[in-house]
Amino acid sequence: MEMVVVAPPAPGRLEDLRRRFFATPLQAVLSLACLTIMVFLAWKLLNWAVFSAVFTTSGGPEACQAAAGACWSVIAARWRIIFFGLYPYEEQWRSALACVVVVVMTVLSCIPVFWTGRRIALVWGAGTALFYVLMKGGVLGLAHVGEEAWGGLALTLFIFVTTCLVGFPLAICLALLRRSELPWISRTTGLIIDGVRSLPLISILFTFAVVLPFALPQWLQGDKLYRVILGSALFFSAYQAEIVRGGMQGVPTGQEEAAMALGMRYWQRIGRILLPQAMRNALPATINQFVISFKETSLVIIVGFFEILASGNAAYGTGEWRFAYVEVYAFIAFIYFVFVFSLSRYGAFLERRMSISER
Amino acid sequence: MISGNSTEPGGPALRIENLDKYYGTFHALRRVNLAVERGERIVVCGPSGSGKSTMIRCINRLEQHNGGRIAVLGTELNDDVGNIDEIRREVGMVFQHFNLFPHMTVLENCMLSPMIVRKQPRAQAEATARRYLEKVRIPEQAMKYPGQLSGGQQQRVAIARALCMQPQIMLFDEPTSALDPEMVSEVLDVMVTLASEGMTMICVTHEMGFARRVADRVIFMDSGEIVEEAPPETFFTTPRNERTRQFLSQVLDH
Amino acid sequence: MVSLLRNQKVRNTLLQVLYVGSIAALVLAGIVIARRNLAEQGITSGFNFLFKSTGWDVNFSLLPATANDPYWWYFLIGIINTLFLGSVGLMLATIVGTIVGLARTSSNDLARLLGRTYVDIFRNIPLILQVFFWYAIITHLPTPRGAHEAWGFLLTSRGLYIPFPNVSNAAFAAATLAVVAAIVLPTWLGRTSRLSQPIGQRRAIQFTAAAAALVCAAISLAVGRLPDLPLLDFPALQGLNLRGGLRIPPEFATLAIAIAIYGGSYIAEIVRGGFKSVGKGQVEAALSLGLSPWRVFTLVRLPLALRAMLPILANQYVWLMKATTMGIAVGFTDFFMIVALTINHSGQTLEAIGILMAGFLAINLSLAAVFNRINKAIALKGNQLRG
Repeated sequence: MEMVVVAPPAPGRLEDLRRRFFATPLQAVLSLACLTIMVFLAWKLLNWAVFSAVFTTSGGPEACQAAAGACWSVIAARWRIIFFGLYPYEEQWRSALACVVVVVMTVLSCIPVFWTGRRIALVWGAGTALFYVLMKGGVLGLAHVGEEAWGGLALTLFIFVTTCLVGFPLAICLALLRRSELPWISRTTGLIIDGVRSLPLISILFTFAVVLPFALPQWLQGDKLYRVILGSALFFSAYQAEIVRGGMQGVPTGQEEAAMALGMRYWQRIGRILLPQAMRNALPATINQFVISFKETSLVIIVGFFEILASGNAAYGTGEWRFAYVEVYAFIAFIYFVFVFSLSRYGAFLERRMSISER
Repeated sequence: MISGNSTEPGGPALRIENLDKYYGTFHALRRVNLAVERGERIVVCGPSGSGKSTMIRCINRLEQHNGGRIAVLGTELNDDVGNIDEIRREVGMVFQHFNLFPHMTVLENCMLSPMIVRKQPRAQAEATARRYLEKVRIPEQAMKYPGQLSGGQQQRVAIARALCMQPQIMLFDEPTSALDPEMVSEVLDVMVTLASEGMTMICVTHEMGFARRVADRVIFMDSGEIVEEAPPETFFTTPRNERTRQFLSQVLDH
Repeated sequence: MVSLLRNQKVRNTLLQVLYVGSIAALVLAGIVIARRNLAEQGITSGFNFLFKSTGWDVNFSLLPATANDPYWWYFLIGIINTLFLGSVGLMLATIVGTIVGLARTSSNDLARLLGRTYVDIFRNIPLILQVFFWYAIITHLPTPRGAHEAWGFLLTSRGLYIPFPNVSNAAFAAATLAVVAAIVLPTWLGRTSRLSQPIGQRRAIQFTAAAAALVCAAISLAVGRLPDLPLLDFPALQGLNLRGGLRIPPEFATLAIAIAIYGGSYIAEIVRGGFKSVGKGQVEAALSLGLSPWRVFTLVRLPLALRAMLPILANQYVWLMKATTMGIAVGFTDFFMIVALTINHSGQTLEAIGILMAGFLAINLSLAAVFNRINKAIALKGNQLRG
């Protein structure tokens, strides 16, 4: 008998759909339910946000309130306050430029070329300095603008960037101290780290903003903004220290022994051998921590800063736009989403890439 | 061999007196005595857990001894930080698991320590590194990362890396135990060459063939003590101690 | 001197003394300066203020509270509020997270997409923004006169009104406890090795335990029932206000919703990770034994995934418990807000901060202890599944 090998016919498009979504009655019900929910939500959302929405300020708040959909006019009318807070109107380009600096800085730090201690420190140091000069002015013919006038997205970004800039080196120090061979040093540091970690961030911000001035001599108190940044950096570093320490534990002990046997001193071993490997191990968790702490900068609203959320509240809270709170919150949520989502996607990508290269 | 800045010309390379080492309550080394002359090649063997690795790790302070004295090249190994640094500069070490730095190329592995510890200029460090890579017969791998090399190649790089510091004593801690059998000989060949050039070597190894060919003295350790110490011909033919005989029959009979 | 500094032991001792000493000195100096500054403002340090009456009100309390109550009583109220909000939030977040997490591990592409959209949206927006959003939504609901009504539930800007049994508080608390026992008891009985009966009998015992607990709940409701009133009290409009039922204040509802939704997105990822960690081999082995997909799920995948999830879940719960401090953003008197108000009103700054730290330390440690117990109880014995 002649054997004829026939490849099974490629499933048609309909057949493929049936298999994927309607294989069993239960699957069919599930698929239909999900589809209904999705179509319903998508329609509602699109209708509200696009089809029935008002985009121009021409009609004024009254026409906008009457519309069935979203009133994006509030954003068109109030976007400056959301982005720049109370920053002087004619100087707001500086605030905008400062935000761009932060974005560029973040993008640069995501490129592997910059992943050496010196380069990343350079990027962040220079970026933050540029940001500060742009915002504060007083040099290069820029008018002086005090910190009390900073606000909106620029303030949020400033707090985030300085938190990381102070918190990251601090985290490395804490991690090194905690893994010290000297028992009292590691124990004391452990106590500090665990203590900070067990407290909510809000209580730490509150302590640094409100309570610390009592405990400091006059000349050391500084501006409330910088105290709060210090508190936020401390909180960040307590979490990041554990991540760095985890990365260090992933470096085999033989690495340090080899460095010792080659005659390297403590700081040479740490800087050249331990940290480069530990930071690599800790990279995905570190990015995740950055994402979390970016979201957490929004908490400074509670100790009275005019960051993006507070300026959003002000954008709809006064005068004729009182009804448009959903639009304002949606807009701010969207800004956060863009930052956080892209960073966390990048983190996930790195994690995947690293787990592949390990194989 | 090119000799580095010797601390005390003449004199023995290593002197260990009444060395004691505890891990908690476990007595890992019991009053060990050993003297090694310059240019001497010592092979240390013994069953696992006998303290042979611990002993050579005490020599460059990877382990801290609890009693007795160690003097390396005339320098006393004590709590003085300066002495520890000095001894580590003059003593090279090769590990069982290579311990190459995975984030650096082979060349960078070899250049790092001469540059930051010996403060050599980059060009000189690179020339030295290339010369030693040549010597261990892998000059063509200089730009690769350790992860891209075979075990035998990695171990040869590790030897070159240690040699780049131009040490006066080389310690080998079971350098072939983690290798696939077909790669053992390429590493041993390098060690034999090194020995023939007059390097002071202390090797912990189970390679009895190597011991027979190269060693000036073979030392047998068991339970933290030196049980037997003899030139290879007497060690292998007429061991005096019962434990040595037992060990040799286990190692050699298959 | 120089040679002494080169000695490793001397160096190590010196370093440790310097480090611990300077930290202790900093803390001490801070306390001393703070006490002096506070004394200048006429505030004497010490814990005597705990027994003075506060003179201000809390807007939410499970315990009776008046402005005459002493500070220690307010701190207790704060802790209980935090724990209550926390546990309601955790429960809701767990439910949301389980549903979304299961959707994300489902074999159905649409369900996965839906789950993923949910997680992507709510995980990437700060919790406090979500709190503000829901608070704005709830406080912009219609007044009681125009309340949204459904099945006896009323949504108003004054809060959510739900039907509530007409029973005394004590009886209601007892009934709640009994219902919790009805859920926990059978599971505990199933886990414990004290029952070595065959499976049929064990089921019977579990069933009896649950039934007994439920009967207890019914009895306590019947006993504690207020006379001459229907068992279930429905909220209804009387004049300008709503009467009857149980009012959930907007602040509490806001926080519970926000924590449930935000926490749910994190828990969903934990659930997904837990299921992902179950080895293919285990599932294939179970299928090859002829178990139905449902039994493979309940007998193999779920128990194994649960064990993988628990330690991460514990961390998440601790985090969510700390997230109740967002209460201050909308004016819910949780533990932290009570502390902040205390500092404002009494000026007892150091003491209040000390109490705050001690309180959160206690909450964290007890949560960790509970989870360690559970973890130990269900951990796989030995290491047969490693590798």
